[in-house]
Amino acid sequence: MREQEKVNILMVDDQPGKLLTYEAILNELGENLIKARSGKEALDHLLRTDIAVVLMDVSMPELDGFELADMIRQHPRFQKIAIIFISAVHLTDLDRLNAYQRGAVDYISVPVVPELLRAKVRVFADLHRKTQQLEMLNHDLRALSARLLAMQDEERRRIARDLHDSIGPLIAALSMNNGILAQQTKKLGPEVLDVLQQNSQLVEQLSKQTRTISHLLHPPLLDEIGLLPAIRMFAEGFAERSSVKVNVELSPDIGRLPPNVEISVFRVVQECLTNVYRHSGSKTAYIKIAPVEEKLLTVQVCDEGKGMPRTNGAPASPGSNHGVGLSGMRERLRELGGTLEIQSSENGTKVIAAVPVTKSMVKSS
Amino acid sequence: MRTRFLIVDDSELVRKSLRTVLQANPDWEICGEAGDGETAIELFRELHPNIVILDFQMPGINGIETASRMSQIAPAVPIVLFTQHASSDLERHAREAGIRSVVSKTDAFPMVGMIEALLGPADSGPGSERPGGSMKEQAD
Repeated sequence: MREQEKVNILMVDDQPGKLLTYEAILNELGENLIKARSGKEALDHLLRTDIAVVLMDVSMPELDGFELADMIRQHPRFQKIAIIFISAVHLTDLDRLNAYQRGAVDYISVPVVPELLRAKVRVFADLHRKTQQLEMLNHDLRALSARLLAMQDEERRRIARDLHDSIGPLIAALSMNNGILAQQTKKLGPEVLDVLQQNSQLVEQLSKQTRTISHLLHPPLLDEIGLLPAIRMFAEGFAERSSVKVNVELSPDIGRLPPNVEISVFRVVQECLTNVYRHSGSKTAYIKIAPVEEKLLTVQVCDEGKGMPRTNGAPASPGSNHGVGLSGMRERLRELGGTLEIQSSENGTKVIAAVPVTKSMVKSS
Repeated sequence: MRTRFLIVDDSELVRKSLRTVLQANPDWEICGEAGDGETAIELFRELHPNIVILDFQMPGINGIETASRMSQIAPAVPIVLFTQHASSDLERHAREAGIRSVVSKTDAFPMVGMIEALLGPADSGPGSERPGGSMKEQAD
């Protein structure tokens, strides 16, 4: 009893007798066997069903096997289907080459050896099943990762809100009380005044640090007045903390965007600036956000640092600090139907993110 | 006539501290308090305050939106945004909403001097009109 799901095997031959023979040979595999008597019938099945392997006769009236293979390959959905040709004629190397060039995975000559045919079909059926499983797992992983990112955003928003609602008023009250005391200078001795002054400074530090933590967790202006002010405020704070000079160029044509787009774009910029500070060694950073033809929002973050470490020409591996952030950015953008491009050399790194937007989110200029 | 303040903040603690700070001036009184924007707008209509001290981040509508609606009702009444998030962008948005001044909650004490400046020369004798004293005229 197999636990795996059955896959579909399409057998194409104009002679019913041959189809019956193939069926008898392949029955043992326990997969779904589908019979088609012509190229046209085969195409009908392909369009309606997910087919793992196509077993087809080369010589058929009307549409022959090679022509059918050409048509199948033209369709992007069918690029990966394993096609096995069976032929009693056309047995030269040139014929075989012809078949492989049309994307065949095998070319079997008649008389067919049942065990061989079965073994070959089994390999491709299993491969298809594994590909399907991988795709499913990949899909699940993406969904999980998107959910984790959304939950992380929500959690950060909640903690920032809690800080604002609980510690914020305490700091404000402390600060005001200190102010009232400071007005009573005549009644206070110099030592008390000194302590008061220290307290005022402590409150200021407390405030500044709470504010930084809260803003890094979730930018307060993002929800209230939008992406661009939140980015400008973050860039100002970042420049102050990191001593990296940040230039910001934000198109005034961008209005309010859906909350998931705003938070994702903000996080991409935040991640990029963090990378500039931690890894690039650059003393400058440049952020540009602009719409393209009312359809796309492009976000560019550039630096003049040493560039990203290259691992065989591919982007940094997910194991490195760079990689985690980058794959997170990629996932966020993928969720929105967007893309991420990275250009990196020893003269600096440029990260370009693009997110689809609708016309109403961009003011026509 | 004393200057009447409407104070709006979702934190009772902040409102209490504001009361202490503002009532130190004998010419100032708190005519109303609200913990959210909608209630603040209702009180603004009912109480005709001379000045509003307004929080930015509150449940429901935020301080900017609240201010913008108050400005439509009585544009001459000065509104001071009292926030933990003072920034140049916020100030720009605040000005567009008719807010006269943005004060950081953690550097609140200069607010007193700033309010005095906003209210103009105090008690310049009988007949002097305080902001908000005649809302209909000012709305024109």
